[in-house]
Amino acid sequence: MQAALELESVTKRYGDFEAVRDLSFQVQSGKILGFLGPNGAGKTSTIRMILGLIAPTSGTVTVLGAHDVCQVRDRIGFLPEERGLYRRMTPVAAISFLAGLKGVPMAEGRRRANKMLDEQGLGEAKDRQIRSLSKGMAQKVQLLSALAHEPDLVLLDEPFSGLDPVNQQSLETLIKGLAARGATVVFSTHVMQHAERLCDQVVLLANGRKVFDGTVDQARSAAPRSLILEGVFDPAALAGLPGLGERTVEAADEGAIRVTATLLPGAPAQAALVAAFGLGLDIRRFELREPHLHDAFIVLTNAGGSE
Amino acid sequence: MNRLLKIAFRDYIAYVRTAGFWLSILLMPLGIFVFGGAPLLVSRSEPVPNLAVVDFTGQGYVAQVGKFLKPASPEQRPVARLVDPPGGPFADPADAAAHLKPYVAGTLALPGGGQLEAAAILKPGPEGVDIDYWSRNVADRSGEYAINQAVSQAMRRASLARAGIGPAALASVDALSPRVTDYSAKVGGKASQREKVRSFAGVGMGFLLWMVVFTGAGMLLNSVIEEKSSRILEVLLTSASVPQIMGGKILGVACVTATVLGVWLTIGGVALSITAPSIAADLGSVLLTHGMIAYLALYFIGGYLMFATLYVTVGAFCETTREAQTLLGPMMILLSLPMVFMTQAISHPDSPLLATLSWVPVFTPFMMAARAASDPPLWQIASTGALMFATTALELWLAGPAFKSGALSSGRFEIRNFFATLARRTGE
Repeated sequence: MQAALELESVTKRYGDFEAVRDLSFQVQSGKILGFLGPNGAGKTSTIRMILGLIAPTSGTVTVLGAHDVCQVRDRIGFLPEERGLYRRMTPVAAISFLAGLKGVPMAEGRRRANKMLDEQGLGEAKDRQIRSLSKGMAQKVQLLSALAHEPDLVLLDEPFSGLDPVNQQSLETLIKGLAARGATVVFSTHVMQHAERLCDQVVLLANGRKVFDGTVDQARSAAPRSLILEGVFDPAALAGLPGLGERTVEAADEGAIRVTATLLPGAPAQAALVAAFGLGLDIRRFELREPHLHDAFIVLTNAGGSE
Repeated sequence: MNRLLKIAFRDYIAYVRTAGFWLSILLMPLGIFVFGGAPLLVSRSEPVPNLAVVDFTGQGYVAQVGKFLKPASPEQRPVARLVDPPGGPFADPADAAAHLKPYVAGTLALPGGGQLEAAAILKPGPEGVDIDYWSRNVADRSGEYAINQAVSQAMRRASLARAGIGPAALASVDALSPRVTDYSAKVGGKASQREKVRSFAGVGMGFLLWMVVFTGAGMLLNSVIEEKSSRILEVLLTSASVPQIMGGKILGVACVTATVLGVWLTIGGVALSITAPSIAADLGSVLLTHGMIAYLALYFIGGYLMFATLYVTVGAFCETTREAQTLLGPMMILLSLPMVFMTQAISHPDSPLLATLSWVPVFTPFMMAARAASDPPLWQIASTGALMFATTALELWLAGPAFKSGALSSGRFEIRNFFATLARRTGE
């Protein structure tokens, strides 16, 4: 399968500051890629290089098979992190204007705008000025304006920020729909749940460097599993249990304590549990917790940042 | 329709659709009308002032003053209405002053109603006649001037009569005047009204250009600042190239200013055709012959492009108008200079100073428009035009990357960042 997007050893420097260092990854067509990283990790610089807004200091960016993004500009949709539209335009006019800049004829742009607004429940607002819309509605309009030309590659910079849970769910459905019709979607986010539910692939940046590139499951495996034991016992008694790493202790209900212990890589939780019961510890509840992407994000970010 | 035209069309429609745009377009001619007609409106709305003259000279100057107060034509207002001095007769000038002061001060009304605005007491003096002029409004010297003229003429005539020159001889002497005929070396014959209209047309177009260029550039600045602060520019940059965005915005606002200009010129043309048809015909003839329209269009286009590019670029670096003023404030003072020098072009279109200023690219469009009446040599038109367009081309070359850099930047505007971006471009 051909890569819709490929970065090879891309570096971007602003004077002495290195925003992105030796970044390489690729995204296959029709896939959803989550672009994760803390603030200042280099996500926006990377997105701007993909869009051709800034040139890399070194390395190559190939977008939809082209080294010069200007050649495929009409096939890319982009939602910036900081949103804004012409406040005095109507949603229909704004969407059809921006679609027009991507080569969609005016009449067709208006037809698509009307259809998309109706589908997104904004039919009644489509002829009102954007300044009179709520923030959530305006954000939806901006998203639709990035999609009206039916792009092959969609870049969304923090698309979920500022949306209420209902609209977040609606956006997730929309992103899945884009991928279903064959578009490649790249989005940056701080909310790991969205990435966890949506992404076929995640790329994690820290301090301008890639610290992870793979599937969500692979990312999760970077973080340790945890065993939670709750009951009335001396936490020091856990020191001899097999396969347990770092432990944190906190108070639980009715004088009990809750110990959260990381499991060492490859260690079975059952062995620790059997040993605990063998010691006669008063354990009332136990839980094996699989790591979330959030845990992996913290582990990988810290590991990448400490290098 | 390509991207440049789409951006231009959107910007044009965005301005032209607003009620404020049409309101301001129509208010400008109204403002000029009010500004020009205000003195006339004020004087017409005031009643003709009452003036009392008390003559202690025994020379009968009152009748002479009466003649000078009358209007020169039926359409004009009299300077003042001569009324009998209230409370007279008076024993002496001091007595007259004492009696008249309360009337002039407005404490007492005239016997027939109304107020006395001024009073003049004529009395013998060492030089012939002394005049004490009392008035409520010392800033209005029109009554005093008329009395002075009237008495001066009467005194001169009396003096000449004493020297043996009779009234008939005096009248014929007063009537002596050379017959002056204006010839124009450029026309090679008699100077016509058309020549004078030509002089004023150039300067008028210079002022109009100045106004339109800066109105348009101001619109551009605000438009780009709005798009920059709302991050629309970033979206536009993913859809169109920098020249397309800049060109579209400049063209869009050029169409807006052309609409403004069209409306103003139509209103002005209709008003002039009604009030002064011969001047309107001469103005039309001046503009439509000898390539004058092309000449003015050359400097209009060059001037607009030069300043529009500058303003668009500065706008891309600014989140607010206040930030833009940081850079453009001092420049606006510099660019006000043509306004001072353009007025001189009416009487001194060939002045060496004006010719020199024409070579400074930022002044070229205004100074050359103002000098249109002096028929600058073709080599000067070509050279200053080429220099102006070369400057604009250089500006565009520098502005492209600067615009993009400014559009993607965030945070407060820093002048050093602006110049650093330009410096990077020159270092490429």
